[in-house]
Amino acid sequence: MDEENLHRKLSSLRKILERSGPFCRPDFEPSPESLKFLMQNCKILVVGAGGLGCECLKNLALMGFRQMEVIDMDVIDLSNLNRQFLFRHKDIGKSKAVTAAKFINDRIPGCNVTPHFCRIQDKEPEFYKQFHIILCGLDSIIARRWINSMLTSLLVYNDDQLDVSSVIPLIDGGTEGFKGNLRVILPGLTPCIECSLDLYPPQITYPLCTIANTPRLPEHCIEYVKVVQWPRENPFDCCIDGDDPQHITWIYEKSNDRALHFGIRGLTYRLVQGVIKNIIPAVASTNAIIASMCCTEVFKVATSCSASLNNYMVFSNTDGIYTFSYEAEKNENCLSCSHSIKEVPLKSLDVKLKEFIDILKYDNAFQLKNPSITAKISGKNKTLYVENIASLEEQTRQNLSKSLFELGISNQTDLIVADSTAPSTFTFKVKVSD
Amino acid sequence: MASPAPKSPEQSEKSRKYDRQLRLWNDHGQALLESAHICLINANALGTEIMKSLVLPGIGAFTIIDGHKVKDEDIGSNFFLDSDSLGKSRAQVTTQLLLEMNSDVRGDFIDEGPEQILNNSPDFFNNFSLVIACAMPEKSLVVLSRKLWELDIPLIACRTIGFVGHIRVQVKEHTVVETHPDNEKSDLRLDKPFEALKKHFDAIDLESMDLKDHSHTPYVIILYKYLEKWRSTYGGDMPKTYAEKEEFRQMLRAGIRKDEENVPLSEENFEEAIKAVNTCLSPTIVPSGVKEILNDNNCVNLNSKSTSFWIIAKAIRDFVENEGDGLLPQKGSLPDMVADTEKFVSLQQVYHKQAGLDVEAVWRRTLQLLRQLGKPSDSIPEKDVKLYCRHASELCVQRGTCIADEYDPKLLNVNEIVESLENPESFMVHYVMLRGVDKFIDEYNTYPGEFDDHVEPDIVKLKACISKLLGEWGCGPVVKDDYVHEFCRYGGAELHSVSATVGGLAAQEAVKFITHQYKPVNNTFIFDAVSCTGNTFFL
Amino acid sequence: MIKLFSLKNAKKDGESPKTGTQKKASAAQLRIQKDITELNLPKTCGTEFPDPDDLLTFKLIICPDEGFYKGGRFVFSFKVGPNYPHEPPKVKCETQVYHPNIDLEGNVCLNILREDWKPVLTINSIVYGLQYLFLEPNPEDPLNKDAADVLQNNRRMFEQNVIKAMRGGYIGQCYFQRCLK
Repeated sequence: MDEENLHRKLSSLRKILERSGPFCRPDFEPSPESLKFLMQNCKILVVGAGGLGCECLKNLALMGFRQMEVIDMDVIDLSNLNRQFLFRHKDIGKSKAVTAAKFINDRIPGCNVTPHFCRIQDKEPEFYKQFHIILCGLDSIIARRWINSMLTSLLVYNDDQLDVSSVIPLIDGGTEGFKGNLRVILPGLTPCIECSLDLYPPQITYPLCTIANTPRLPEHCIEYVKVVQWPRENPFDCCIDGDDPQHITWIYEKSNDRALHFGIRGLTYRLVQGVIKNIIPAVASTNAIIASMCCTEVFKVATSCSASLNNYMVFSNTDGIYTFSYEAEKNENCLSCSHSIKEVPLKSLDVKLKEFIDILKYDNAFQLKNPSITAKISGKNKTLYVENIASLEEQTRQNLSKSLFELGISNQTDLIVADSTAPSTFTFKVKVSD
Repeated sequence: MASPAPKSPEQSEKSRKYDRQLRLWNDHGQALLESAHICLINANALGTEIMKSLVLPGIGAFTIIDGHKVKDEDIGSNFFLDSDSLGKSRAQVTTQLLLEMNSDVRGDFIDEGPEQILNNSPDFFNNFSLVIACAMPEKSLVVLSRKLWELDIPLIACRTIGFVGHIRVQVKEHTVVETHPDNEKSDLRLDKPFEALKKHFDAIDLESMDLKDHSHTPYVIILYKYLEKWRSTYGGDMPKTYAEKEEFRQMLRAGIRKDEENVPLSEENFEEAIKAVNTCLSPTIVPSGVKEILNDNNCVNLNSKSTSFWIIAKAIRDFVENEGDGLLPQKGSLPDMVADTEKFVSLQQVYHKQAGLDVEAVWRRTLQLLRQLGKPSDSIPEKDVKLYCRHASELCVQRGTCIADEYDPKLLNVNEIVESLENPESFMVHYVMLRGVDKFIDEYNTYPGEFDDHVEPDIVKLKACISKLLGEWGCGPVVKDDYVHEFCRYGGAELHSVSATVGGLAAQEAVKFITHQYKPVNNTFIFDAVSCTGNTFFL
Repeated sequence: MIKLFSLKNAKKDGESPKTGTQKKASAAQLRIQKDITELNLPKTCGTEFPDPDDLLTFKLIICPDEGFYKGGRFVFSFKVGPNYPHEPPKVKCETQVYHPNIDLEGNVCLNILREDWKPVLTINSIVYGLQYLFLEPNPEDPLNKDAADVLQNNRRMFEQNVIKAMRGGYIGQCYFQRCLK
């Protein structure tokens, strides 16, 4: 009986996955196996359990996905409740990831969402490696870039050929008010976040001299209090905490004084909050739209049942409904996803750093000019040698006479090399012939 | 040390909860939302997804009409049903689970289909602010749409099948004061300065300024001063052609102060003036869209049923014809520009003051009109007039068509369909398919392809439905068989994520109708989840 | 296009591909290494890295050889954040200086450090921008208004004040520490 119920519950998905159609991807094979894969094997990571994350977990669960994990370091705030629909008033202060996972697991039997209440940076590559697809619903560019760089670092190349089984597709959504965007990224194959960093608008800032001497807008007055007055007067003996109403009130009063003094209109408490916390307007509908589009893309990538978005979509519904998709281009010199791992054959790790650098400079295969080399050695950044900066040269010179072995380098180590002859950095690996 | 908190209304729990959306539609938009009562017909996945995006931001109340009992298929695609709800009233369970999300919202349900209600209690719909109908069969949708058209209540009808979504809004007339354009045009009046502005400009002498003042004079003043110069050489007109504008820019460039070695100094305000030549030197006029509104019959001939939108429009019209001297009320804002505080604020003050005077004039005319119409003078608050004046150049009126007309070949906008179908990229083909599916359901009472063993025969039947439909419209066989196959593959499947997308879109249109902010879609939107894009049509 | 379903199904049963399991350098780190490798310091500038393994934190020392500030030695601290180059580095002047565009807390008014920053700009752009501030202090948009007023109205007095400040002494109510080379 249960089996039959389940069968009926999934009838819509079964139609799409068990029947072929004229617009399916040519490699799509209709069969019950696809749905079985979604329900049993396909592991999805949802990054962020906020406006987009809550929607994504729900959508994925109802699109047949069962093995999901969600990671978010935030706790629930009152201002989340207008759109983060898995949270209630009683949940304020609790972990977003834990609360969201529990809600989904309770509502949808058989669903197995595992929460991680921590920073994305706290997880090792091994953690990220286990997923088939990663779905990002973040409001932070730093975090997006971090995930992106994690996924490009997991790519495996054999003789310069990308091993496609190491590609973990990244579906990335973002919203701001009534606008949103969505992109499908196959790291190493299609443009990544870093390829088009300039697509992200910079945060609004004002010239320091304007806010100090010739303020014209209420924002100028607020920025002045934030940048100059707060550090000078240090009213609460700590940094500004945008969630502390006492702090906001102090800033509100000081900027109000300043605005009055200069005859500037339009300063409100809401504006002060907005500027200090860099608040991005957000509404349930836009999150629902972008998150669901992301999940349709996850579904398409996971099952091959239809072509994927290629590869960027922007959305706005301030004036009617506007959608526009286009193919963003890969940056061949991208610091993150351009494949530039080179192997340097060496007799042994007894080779001195100086000799190694000479190989990079004079071997016909490399011909670099002034390579600087850094590496991560036992989890720590290490600057091995920098030629062109006098102070760094002096500090790293003693490494030249050490052997690679003494420096802690093995054939596992990624040696990051920058050189004035190339627009991006290279990763070098030593290959010891035995 | 810690001073007492100032009394700020923003501190209330409610405004903190809704903070992120209040930044989009403000407290007055929220108030409209909170007084709205929305009716949802059919709480399928699409229906509940729409309601989710309306309950969360805090609509006043909703009523769900749905005569279905919960089936397994429903539970599998609808988040607002749980595993215990099998066999229960779909209206009841979804109402309950939707209400859990927001205690500010009231909700009730009627465990009956819309057909019964339309038959038995025709007045039922009279008091809703807006009705949303999901996956409604052709026949009852036609009846409902006529009813609501008569009642002048907006209707949003929508559905999804497989990877395709369809939203149709029906509203006789929808008016928007705050359209929130992405690029707001400023109202600088360089060509027609009002008296106080002219006086302000005339009191300034760029030549005699020291460098510091010269480089901190707002570019608006610079443009005005050089326009005067231009006119003294070329007569009354502003630079119009590209060549003239380029020459004008040269004049500005030559005005930048130089150092001892005759090298131009860096004067950012002049750079801004040069950049602004393109945008700021067009003549101040009443935009054609607004002119149409002011000449609209509803504006010219007010009656006792006229809404405040049209009454204020008439007041503005009278203002334009009289004290406005052919122009709309002054907006009263000034974009930020390089300047010192005093020069900026004093110029801003001039515009602001004029805006205040214009609001007063329009307000007086509004009161006069209210008197003439026999309405109480407090039926339109002054703050509404103020808001209206501020946005007078962006007003928008949309007029729609009745959904029922689409089902009458004589009234359907066949031209739009035929023209769109000629474009191979257009999603009009999905619309035709959906209409074919309507016909199929009407005839066979199932979705084409609903049953696994009927897909092949249904393809033939659906094809026949489409041909018949196109014949009724007088079009040739313009739909490829591939689409017929694809829709039979869908078999009426409702994919949750596609419904969630269309649900979010439809909910936002509902918010636009209720708040009278932002421009709604007019009147048909087809979403294609394969390409993740959509098209708008007017049917 | 990759076909995830068949690919990953197969992958689950077999060995997962061998990847380096150490964390890769962050995008900000790669970029700063690139910037530093291409840094072309004018002869009046030098750098100090308190920890050579941390390329994200360093000091820039400017010793102007012409202009008002000739003979002085000015230290700027650079902090490059994880969002570099989307966001500019945080730069502060650690030497107290009598300068129209640098306030007494060390805030520096240089457009590319705030409103005009773009990801294509580099550390080199900032170095040249800072160097220019010492050659051409700009009294039009000041941070230190007193200094700007003096520069505008009495260049000689400004010149003397700069020298006095660099030698260590009071300008008005404010004491400046000696910062001659």
